[in-house]
Amino acid sequence: MSTAYAASARAGRTTSNKSLREDTVTQTEPRLRVEHLAKSYGRGDQEKQIIGDLTFSVDKGEVACIVGPSGVGKTTLLKCLAGLHPSTGGAMYIDGKPLDGPPAEMALVFQDYSRSLMPWLTVEKNVRLPLRHMRLPKAEAAERIEDALAAVGLSHAAKQYPWQLSGGMQQRVAIARALAYRPEVLVMDEPFASVDAQTRFELEDLCLSIRDKLDMTIVVVTHDIDEAVYLSDRIVAIGGKPAGVLEVIDVDLPGERDQITTRALPEFAELRSRTLSLIRKAQQ
Amino acid sequence: MKRRALNTVLGVGAPVAVIAAWWIVSAGSTNAFFPPLATIMERFQALWLFDRFASDVLPSLRNLGIGYAIAVVVGVVLGFVIATVPVLRAMFEPALHFIRGIPPVALIPILITLIGFGQEMRVTSIVLAATFPTMISTIDGIRAVDTGLRDVCSVYRLRKHERLLRVYLPAAGPQIAAGMQVSLQIGFIVMIASEMLGSSQGIGAMTLLAQQSFLAADMWAGILLLGFLGFAANILFEAARSRVLAWYIGSKRQERAA
Amino acid sequence: MTISSTTRSSAAGRRLDVDAPVAKTVLGAVGAVVLLGGWQLAAASGAFGTGLPTVTDTLAELVRLLGTQVFWVDTGVTVASAAAGLALAVAGGVILGVLIGMFEPVWAATLAITEFLKPIPPIVILPLAVMVFGPTSKMALFLVVAGCLLTVSIQAIAGVRDADPVALATARSYGMGRAETLWRVVLPGATAFIGTAVRVSAPASLVIVVVAGLLGGAPGLGRSIYQAQAGGLYPTLYALVVVLGVLGVASQWASSAVERRVLHWHPSFRKETP
Repeated sequence: MSTAYAASARAGRTTSNKSLREDTVTQTEPRLRVEHLAKSYGRGDQEKQIIGDLTFSVDKGEVACIVGPSGVGKTTLLKCLAGLHPSTGGAMYIDGKPLDGPPAEMALVFQDYSRSLMPWLTVEKNVRLPLRHMRLPKAEAAERIEDALAAVGLSHAAKQYPWQLSGGMQQRVAIARALAYRPEVLVMDEPFASVDAQTRFELEDLCLSIRDKLDMTIVVVTHDIDEAVYLSDRIVAIGGKPAGVLEVIDVDLPGERDQITTRALPEFAELRSRTLSLIRKAQQ
Repeated sequence: MKRRALNTVLGVGAPVAVIAAWWIVSAGSTNAFFPPLATIMERFQALWLFDRFASDVLPSLRNLGIGYAIAVVVGVVLGFVIATVPVLRAMFEPALHFIRGIPPVALIPILITLIGFGQEMRVTSIVLAATFPTMISTIDGIRAVDTGLRDVCSVYRLRKHERLLRVYLPAAGPQIAAGMQVSLQIGFIVMIASEMLGSSQGIGAMTLLAQQSFLAADMWAGILLLGFLGFAANILFEAARSRVLAWYIGSKRQERAA
Repeated sequence: MTISSTTRSSAAGRRLDVDAPVAKTVLGAVGAVVLLGGWQLAAASGAFGTGLPTVTDTLAELVRLLGTQVFWVDTGVTVASAAAGLALAVAGGVILGVLIGMFEPVWAATLAITEFLKPIPPIVILPLAVMVFGPTSKMALFLVVAGCLLTVSIQAIAGVRDADPVALATARSYGMGRAETLWRVVLPGATAFIGTAVRVSAPASLVIVVVAGLLGGAPGLGRSIYQAQAGGLYPTLYALVVVLGVLGVASQWASSAVERRVLHWHPSFRKETP
């Protein structure tokens, strides 16, 4: 992919994401398309269907949150998306290209940063690790790493080891690693679940600013409904056993998102209760 | 603060006092087994500094060095192969645990039978005995690599060699190092044992020969040299380990502090 | 046993799950057969002359040995020396460790000495032991105690010094004396450390007895191995090494089982202490 950070100075579009979606109406193929995805473990009598039939799509430059009650199979879905587990039915496409195994266009940020960063590598080398096999020119690799660390505000910590940093900073390193990989789709699994509330707000805003700056498609799996409403352009609510899509909710909040004002909007409260009641109902 | 100063004084003073006490108490000793320390030191100087150094000390150390180096390489490589090929692991792990149960020194008579009493036998004994701890800890270390790190490798599509050398090897590093330390100790034991069994060269042979000839002071000199070498080998290993695994030691310290 | 093939990676097909109990047993047996087959072929090829007897000859010799009284006496002496030495080392090491660990000045004074002696294996003092005790079981016993005492006491020191400060403060506030605190608070806390020492020392004690027999002539399997080698009784030599392997695995298994029990018992005991 060619979108360089420098070229993505789309400062004007932060005010409304709507214009972008209108831009892409002509583009018939969404960036990420999931069709009739199914996943079961075991076989024969022991077969356990986790995901029944999931269909949804996410456009370029959109943030989509997948929400659902715990144990519904969110992580399973994500592992299928990332090609870590083979699906047992249906298909997934990025830009119309069917996926087979871990896609080159996708990066994943794991929930548990302490188990996803290499403790023997400095921050800078952690970010470099996925770039090595791309055989980029030296200067480009260095630039990518610098840009990614700058984007998450960790330029000063490049030479430190992950375990010398706080939890929130470690998760930023994991995000920087994903950014330097320059994916078209960034998938995050409960990325802010193990950090404190203040850091969580900061990381949510970081996530939105990345989307704005880099025009990246971001899929976030979360169990936090407030977070989903705050981050999303659309919410994919899943539920049931086996899991299916309950509803895809378009989130169209007015104005630039802000932790204080956006969360105080009546529309925010309305979306929040709508999503919550959907999931409550599915749980019964 | 005062307590710490006292502890330092005691820590340095006690060993000095022990040696001084040994020196004084043994000074007039006529006991056949426990000659005066002064006599032992005289013999130590006469034998090892440096009359016998080239003929007996160097060959022993060379055997240990070569044998240990081969054992570590073979142990890590075999451990890697066995750990990363599940079928091999299932096939050979039970057998490996059985072979590991054999006291390493008991393999020496077999090797004497097969290869004879030469240097090759001694190096081979060290290799055979020292390979196992490194190999088994490598297998365990690789198996214990966190699934989180494995997923990272898949998601970022790391190539096979990158996974092995850049992720699995460093992740298993602390455990491999622990095995290597045991390997070094076993290598050292087998070095001595292989010299004591029907050889006339090497520190172990010299020391046992002195015992058989009732040259108590010579024997004590050999014991002191072996003790010193065992201690020095471990110090060198620790120094190398704390350099290579600085990240691990640092992260553990951080964990404890938290 | 197998995981299903998928629409996404149809080439993967059915894969064997090597961790399933049945597969593990079968593959382990196959591995043993492969290794034994290699040995048999190498021996039958005659490349090593009489120095490498065949598997079948070795097993036949093993069966014959099992019927002799000498073999059982040897095995008994070996196991008994190792066990007795270990017991003495544990008893002595715990007492020594508690004494050193309880009194800070003693600990400071002995630290450098224990650290110096720790990496030195007992084989170093084998010549001295042989000189003083001769080729006897006493010599083997001395070596085992000398070899394991330090390991046990170092662990016991660590265990005593690791005693929970809160537990110690509680003991003081309950008006416990020094001896009672030691018995009720410090020692139970140190059992995990001592358990680890026993697990490491049990296989080591067996190795030391074999070394004492092989190099110092103490009675037992070590000496028999030396005699078999010197006398050219190669099938006997190999059969005895196989027996040592069995004993080694048994001692590892037994000592881990003991440690598991100790560790299992340890937290439940702590709950009862105030």
